[in-house]
Amino acid sequence: MMFLLWIRGVLARRFLRVAGAAAGIALTVALLSAMALFLANAGASMTARAVSAVPIDWQVQVISGADPALVGKALADAAPVKAVHQVRYADVAGFEAQTGGTTQTTGPGQAVAFDGSYLSDFPAEIRSLSGTLDGVLIAQQTAANLHVGPGDAVSIQRMGLPPVEVRIAGVVDLPDADALFQAVGLPPQAAPQAPPDNVLILPQEAWRQMFDPQQKARPDTTRLQLHARLAHAALPPDPVSAYTFVTAAQRNLEARVAGQALVADNLGSRLGAVREDALYASVLFLFLGLPGIALAVALTFAVTSSGAARRRAEQAMLRVRGATIKAILLLSATEAAVAAIAGTAIGMAAASLLAAVAPGLKATVGIDGPTLLLVAVFGLLVGLIAFLYPAWRDARWVTVAAARRTVNRPNAPLWQRLWLDGLLLAAAGLFFWQSASTGYQIVLAPEGVAATSVDYKAFIAPALFWLGMALLTIRLSATIIARNGALLRMIVAPVSGALAPVVSAALSRQAGRLTIGIAMTALSISFATSTAIFNTTYNAQARIDAELTNGSDVTVFGTTDKPAGAHLKALASLPEAAAAEPMQHRFAYVGTDLQDLYGIDPHRIGRATGLSDAYFSGASAAGTLALLAATSDGVLVSEETVQDFQLQQGDTINLRLMDARDHQYHPVPFKFIGVAREFPTAPKDSFLVANSAYVARTTGSDASEYVLMRARADPAALARKASSVLTFDPSLKVADIGQAAHLIGSSLTAVDLGGLTTIELGFAVVMAAAAAGLMLALGFYERRRPFAILAAIGAKPRQLAAFLWSEGLLILVGGMTFGLISGLLTAWMLVKLLTGVFDPPPEALSIPWLYLAVVSGLVAASVIAAVLSARPSTGQTAEQLRDL
Amino acid sequence: MGERLVIAKGLGRDFRDGNSGRINVLRDVDCEIAPGARIAIVGPSGSGKTTLLHILGGLDRPTAGTVEWPALGAFETLRPRHIGFVFQSPSLFPALTAVQNVGLPMLLAGENIGASDIGASLLQSFDLDELGDKLPEELSGGQAQRIAMARALAMGPKLLLADEPTGQLDSRTALLFLDAVLDRLEATDIALVIATHDEIVANRMATRWTMDHGRLTTGHRPGAVTA
Ligand SMILES: Nc1ncnc2c1ncn2[C@@H]1O[C@H](COP(=O)(O)OP(=O)(O)O)[C@@H](O)[C@H]1O
Ligand SMILES: [Mg+2]
Repeated sequence: MMFLLWIRGVLARRFLRVAGAAAGIALTVALLSAMALFLANAGASMTARAVSAVPIDWQVQVISGADPALVGKALADAAPVKAVHQVRYADVAGFEAQTGGTTQTTGPGQAVAFDGSYLSDFPAEIRSLSGTLDGVLIAQQTAANLHVGPGDAVSIQRMGLPPVEVRIAGVVDLPDADALFQAVGLPPQAAPQAPPDNVLILPQEAWRQMFDPQQKARPDTTRLQLHARLAHAALPPDPVSAYTFVTAAQRNLEARVAGQALVADNLGSRLGAVREDALYASVLFLFLGLPGIALAVALTFAVTSSGAARRRAEQAMLRVRGATIKAILLLSATEAAVAAIAGTAIGMAAASLLAAVAPGLKATVGIDGPTLLLVAVFGLLVGLIAFLYPAWRDARWVTVAAARRTVNRPNAPLWQRLWLDGLLLAAAGLFFWQSASTGYQIVLAPEGVAATSVDYKAFIAPALFWLGMALLTIRLSATIIARNGALLRMIVAPVSGALAPVVSAALSRQAGRLTIGIAMTALSISFATSTAIFNTTYNAQARIDAELTNGSDVTVFGTTDKPAGAHLKALASLPEAAAAEPMQHRFAYVGTDLQDLYGIDPHRIGRATGLSDAYFSGASAAGTLALLAATSDGVLVSEETVQDFQLQQGDTINLRLMDARDHQYHPVPFKFIGVAREFPTAPKDSFLVANSAYVARTTGSDASEYVLMRARADPAALARKASSVLTFDPSLKVADIGQAAHLIGSSLTAVDLGGLTTIELGFAVVMAAAAAGLMLALGFYERRRPFAILAAIGAKPRQLAAFLWSEGLLILVGGMTFGLISGLLTAWMLVKLLTGVFDPPPEALSIPWLYLAVVSGLVAASVIAAVLSARPSTGQTAEQLRDL
Repeated sequence: MGERLVIAKGLGRDFRDGNSGRINVLRDVDCEIAPGARIAIVGPSGSGKTTLLHILGGLDRPTAGTVEWPALGAFETLRPRHIGFVFQSPSLFPALTAVQNVGLPMLLAGENIGASDIGASLLQSFDLDELGDKLPEELSGGQAQRIAMARALAMGPKLLLADEPTGQLDSRTALLFLDAVLDRLEATDIALVIATHDEIVANRMATRWTMDHGRLTTGHRPGAVTA
């Protein structure tokens, strides 16, 4: 009974402190669970996206002479297989066609046959361009080389056998040709093989009639592959486990077939690449989330250790009355239990509420249950320690005399005398510089090796920086406040008027308490600032990345035969289009290497798409384009090409381009003027950029295969409109930037951070406001008696308010100044350290002004609320004078 | 005898007591304070001395009866100009030095010019000048209460209310303190009211009021010096 009264008393008197600590624990728990859930979800969605981007999971090539049925059985035993189809390949010496009185022949090619329902299980392999899909199909490039279309005849030159003639039923595109025609069984390091230029697709029966004889005669010229789709639902959701699962199944299959078949594990390699992204994602979330969690924990401790003076005085009294240390600790344990349990429960409730409303946070009980349990245990521990540690320390130290001390003459702590803050910042700089010198390689995932590794050293720099900044904030504010100089008086003057000298003197004696308030406020503002800046920069960069892949907001992709540029007028006049610019997309031989060639008008291309300085090496985007415009035969090449051909600025290089008049490749001289690293729609490895006018003149065709468009508002709306204008020609493909953002599977910027950052930004705001307001309110609450004394000796409400406002203003000004500075620097450091996440790296930080304004506004509001609620109402003075 | 400084009639004060109802801390208290009075309010702990002082000083309001300050002007100007207060310790503003504490009432009254000079001279008159730069926590209990007394006198009040100013002091220090105060007030007509449960202190005062369970008995003690 006695004990219950005691608890009630404690809770009533220390409500603010217990509630504040519970709030800190709730923040810790909620943020931690949100992060855990998000990480699990991001992994699962990365796996799902990666898996869906793989058209053929496995290609199992049956060794000639082996029994396909046995291999098929081994396949079904080794892995959860959903569909298996047979694909036959035959090498041919070439194709020939006669049109309009001339004869065209091609070089070597391949004739392929899919079994009956192949296309319903692997729809991504063939895209119809014209004609039907029933019968003999010809690849678009081959059709162009042979000048044939549906209805025309083509003769196939078999190896060692007389040619046979077939009639074309349709022209198709083979979007997945790289995988479809890959050489199965080569070691992963081997250079990727270009798909054959000439391909004919035969119905299975026709293929067997024509090529079974060739198979007998030249078994090395035909191949049989089993294409398998695995049951994706059976894969573990986490990319690393999924990768391990798939590669283990692949090895199992190889063991079962004992050399009778070779396996190309497309799914495994895709997951291998994603595994790296998944690690990057974890690293990213750690970078972004850990400071928030550390801050929430620090806030909890700051709250529980506030009012130490008052608590010690209370305890001294309890001890004078005979209470043992044990009893005093029991009292604290009660407080701790209430705060820890309430805080953890509220945090868990908040997290599950978030999980219900925020995208990308769905909790899956089986997987996340243990994690959440761990989080709850962590929350409880933080609560218990946060209360018991100061109580234990107080109880040990307390002597009745010392307990009465409430004002401390500042005595510089050891870390200040050792300049620990300076040392930490210097060390952070050193580690950062070291990371910079290795090109910020944080995640290492060697090809073909199951183990990936994160360079955790990279965390050291920001962690040290964070600590160093916190200590520096404490040192500087403590010094400024304790010195009671002109600066302090200037800060408080606006609200303390004639009382400024005495107010600043009073503040200067409480440097310790105020400094903790400023440091907590600064840290939370810094967290908010750095998260927000990183987030906006990341989003801006994700957009650039998507624009780079897609070419522009909306891009219309056509071919030389059916160029999108032919419809430029119609596209440009769409009301949703802000700009539309044509771009040529041709191919050119650099030596024996076939590369993409982009022909542009350097003066105009910038209207339709953004060209970042990072796309070019050695010069700015504007400078490079100006040089290209001034050099009519200029060409930009990739770094790789510069290396391979030892090119010097101004060198003339001969590229072989296809002439529209005779469909043959002819050499055309270009002048090498610069290096392009990236270009809208261009592949990552190697490509060329030249003036479209020069390309048109030297190839006899001014066709522009692509049209890049900038949208006035919503790119998706423009894309819909453009598609509706172009429905008459299905070979023209319209893509908007939103689709591209979803397709960039290999790049981490495809991970939708939206959910997590929204939550973190929300937490940051709450924490910044809580830190400022709560610390201030706790401080005021502990000092009701001094304020009552002021009132009793004649301070008017306005004068009491001057003391309160001054303190609020000091915390606000100090917290904002240090918080914004350190937030900006932290964001800069994060963006630099996470360079690997960005491709290309951002040119500048994007500052979210609105969010920062909201954070500042809320911090100011919480300070105002704390001051207003602390202003003693007349009539309480007598009561507060009785306080300790 | 000049106009009364304070006239209280039928004072009552009750507080809400937990959940069980109300407790009457003061019941039907009548009293008057004349200029130059030296009054000790004695009574056991919890009898209502502090509550009465707070009401007489205008810090608290009675729940029954009336209190008036005929000679002290408007209620708003009572403190710090006309009534000085010394509280049960600790009664100094902890973040300010001794001299700042003493000058504080003047600053609050808007007389910021010379506040610290007056503070310093007051300290001198209490023999405290070497303590000026000390913080309250660096002072002994007796020193702190003498400084609180100096602060209470800073604005030249007509009434000085002290709530157990010697409560934390040993009896020798208590007497030294009281003597210093009485010396300082000797030639003035400042009225002094001290709440105390210390008989030695009470015996030095001309008038003794006794509090018991919220009831006040006033009356002159024969043989005591009246100002
Ligand atoms: N704000 C309050 N609420 C409830 N009871 C109070 C309050 N203030 C004082 N009391 C009670 O009034 C009684 C008288 O207190 P007080 O005037 O301080 O007596 P004294 O100064 O003689 O020791 C005590 O029992 C005390 O508990
Ligand atoms: Mg009392």
